[in-house]
Amino acid sequence: MSRVPLFGPSSRVPRALGPTALIIVAGGLFVVIWGQQYAGSVFVLSACYAIVTAGMAVQIGFSQQIAFSQSVFMGAGAYGVALLNTHFGWPVLVCTPVVMAGSGVAALLLGAVVTRASGLALAVATLMLPLIAVGYVTSAQYLGGAVGQSMPGTLWPGSSSAAVAVGGGLVVVAFLAVAVFVAARVLTSDIGLELFALGADERTAASMGIRTPRRKLELFVLGCVFASLGGAAYAGTQQFVPETLVDPTAELALLIMLFIGGRRSIIGAVIGALVIQYLQGASSWVSVNILVVEGVLLTVVLLVDPEGLAGILATTASWLRARAPIAFPARAAAGAGGVAAAAAVSAVTWVGAGVAGEAESDSPPPKRGDGAGDPTVAASSAGTTSALLTVAKVGKDYGGLTVLHDVSLTLPARGLFGLCGPNGAGKSTLLNVIGGSVPPSRGQVALRGADITRKPPHERFYLGVSRTFQAVHLIKGRTVLDNVAVSCLASHHSSIVTRIGRSRLAQARAEASRALDDLGLAGIKDREVSSLTLEAQRMVELARAMAPGPSLLLLDEPASGLSEDQRHRLAATLQQLGTRTCVLLVEHDLDLVAQVSERIFVLSEGRLVFDGDPATFRASPIVTSLLVGL
Amino acid sequence: MKLGNLIIAGIVTGSIYATFAVCVSVWYRVSNILNLAVGDFAMVGALSVDNLYRVRGLPLPAAIACTLVVVAIFAWLYDMVVLRLAADGRGRAEGIVLTFFFTFALSFFIDGVAKMLFGTDVHAAPALWNGQAIAVANLHVDRAGILVLACAVLIGGMFWLYIRYTLGGKALEASGENAVGARIVGIDTRRYRRLIFVATAVIAAIFGIVESPITGYTYLSGATISLTGFIAAAYGGFRKPGRALIAGLSIGILEALLGGYVSAEYGDTVMYAILAALVLAWPRGLGFESAVSG
Repeated sequence: MSRVPLFGPSSRVPRALGPTALIIVAGGLFVVIWGQQYAGSVFVLSACYAIVTAGMAVQIGFSQQIAFSQSVFMGAGAYGVALLNTHFGWPVLVCTPVVMAGSGVAALLLGAVVTRASGLALAVATLMLPLIAVGYVTSAQYLGGAVGQSMPGTLWPGSSSAAVAVGGGLVVVAFLAVAVFVAARVLTSDIGLELFALGADERTAASMGIRTPRRKLELFVLGCVFASLGGAAYAGTQQFVPETLVDPTAELALLIMLFIGGRRSIIGAVIGALVIQYLQGASSWVSVNILVVEGVLLTVVLLVDPEGLAGILATTASWLRARAPIAFPARAAAGAGGVAAAAAVSAVTWVGAGVAGEAESDSPPPKRGDGAGDPTVAASSAGTTSALLTVAKVGKDYGGLTVLHDVSLTLPARGLFGLCGPNGAGKSTLLNVIGGSVPPSRGQVALRGADITRKPPHERFYLGVSRTFQAVHLIKGRTVLDNVAVSCLASHHSSIVTRIGRSRLAQARAEASRALDDLGLAGIKDREVSSLTLEAQRMVELARAMAPGPSLLLLDEPASGLSEDQRHRLAATLQQLGTRTCVLLVEHDLDLVAQVSERIFVLSEGRLVFDGDPATFRASPIVTSLLVGL
Repeated sequence: MKLGNLIIAGIVTGSIYATFAVCVSVWYRVSNILNLAVGDFAMVGALSVDNLYRVRGLPLPAAIACTLVVVAIFAWLYDMVVLRLAADGRGRAEGIVLTFFFTFALSFFIDGVAKMLFGTDVHAAPALWNGQAIAVANLHVDRAGILVLACAVLIGGMFWLYIRYTLGGKALEASGENAVGARIVGIDTRRYRRLIFVATAVIAAIFGIVESPITGYTYLSGATISLTGFIAAAYGGFRKPGRALIAGLSIGILEALLGGYVSAEYGDTVMYAILAALVLAWPRGLGFESAVSG
């Protein structure tokens, strides 16, 4: 089951300190010098929007949780500040944290409901938020209705208009700097890596222990709080909140800023806001015909580079680096040559290092028949008395269709077990039921005697269940090391907020590094994953599943798409894994299964029709008729 | 009789949402792109006919023909230039959301151009069938409403016949099931993408022309119709025109009933809240899973 990605691959990891310093210095200077003039006021306005788009970059760009809630919460921030200021006379700087806290609580409540949906459902459900909000605001008299709400207070309470403009501008720049810093710190931390994984594929992320519901809720709240801060800054500097701030067009305008600037770049999000606001401020023609300009600009930018202006800048920069004669050669090649250069070096696959020095690629690995005499395997499988995994009478119905009929099987703590069957026999469903991504309709799944039938995938991961999926789901744009580190993170129980201060990504990387060394993949640690061959990508997935030292490893067709040679190498690796842990292997390649497994299960039309050792498997008439088609 | 009248009004607006929802889902099946610009073509159709007829003094049939031809040519050019680069080009845009943003930009562009050409006032194409609302036993039906329904039935029926009984329709089905597979067996999915895109643009324009005497359009009206049609399509998982049709009709009726019985001011707000709640309560049943998984 291949999933259509909501976005293409992500590419760049943001940095925290550089952009923040840049915003403080450049923004601060700009406001001090031009703060009282028109250019300065446009800058301050765009900074208000940039605060919102920075949050959107984290939520929508990197984590791919598309929620159309920003304009609503920007409006909430702005109206909140305006009301508190007008009716209670609170200074704007006091109102701001109060309004942010209020928005946070509101976002938490709303998000608890909304983020249960994922992908398109989330987008469509939240698409209605601006529609609801604008309908409400237009008719609400206490908010000024369609006219808008004006307020007496200013963000910086100065006596002269100059002090108000410059002071307010500096406060907004400070807000923006904080927003960018927080966003970038979160993304570079270990939780940031979780968010990248969530963005790559939600199901895979959950299978690696990432508590996806919680992260999605946190992201939603983060986006909303950033938006309300932007709204508060807007109200404080403009002293007026128009009704158009919450309508769907405003939401779309924010998205356009994000996409023009570059959705997967914090600084890009800021650039996008600046570009759109300055274009509007630069000429009255643009301001009147902003829809045409935005439409054309968005189309052109997306055609040139889906990563927006930030992507174009980065490509230009690496092109210039490549052209510069003093450029550091390796870096220049990697930057400029892109896929072409990477493909050229792809000769450095994991094979180069040898699979733990065990397999010779040209001689076929030992047959399973010989392997049965292997003392370690024999000892380990004989030595385990209690069962690791017990699947008891598991059934699964989809509507009226039953895909699993009371399947039962038991696996010991060590060994390699094959699961075969024709297409549609229910192999993947059984694997999903064991992994937790599909709830069974009947029956029980137990790990070391404890019932885990109702446990979500991430909790099964904590108990030692690790898996790969049929399709390769790696985080494109990140290195092999980071991809493996995803399964070694210790951040699952922490909240995003704790990651602004410290990150323990280094620890996870160290563990990942050991796992890669172990599988003989040390040579490709720093390669970007999409430059790898399919074989190497599958090995990276295997390393990722192995890295946390699971007690049960579920592999869904690891050999599909691999060549004969590559299969032989994979077989050798699998055999080695089987001596350390319990592996359940779903595979179409019968030779491979028979060669590496010590016991084989065959599913047909949702029923277990065969259970035996490889020799019996090869001789079995059921197997021959079902799988070989004789 | 309030109920009856409301339901009739609801069916009329609902048939528009339904048509747009069908347009969105049929095109999504071929192109894998969600089109947010359908409603904008409707708006352009209405305002352009009004402008050509009332301001430039063209005869009505000429104004309509001229508008439809321009819309068709524009849609064809857009596909040939932008969608071709976006969906088939070297730097192929990946992912539904990214391609979705192209139609989103298109919607902005059309609205902007309409603002430039036709101004910001409320206009409507001249009524095609003049006369008082037809009254049958206390039920009032706008003549324009009858035309809208007739168009919906006619166009919907033609679409259905085309998909059901022609080779082109079969090819369309195949492209929707599996675009790569369809291409392998020799179906030019790009051609169908263009064909359906132009067809939906023209259909939307026709609906705009027919419906605008009832509500009147501004340059921003397109976005609202688009969004509602889009939401109706979403209830069909973006891939099931039949379900999208039912969803569109139901949304229209719901909107009319809420407007009539609950509150004229907050009716839409309540309706969107109900629609959002439905998506959240029952995403799988509404086909969202199938929209995301290939």
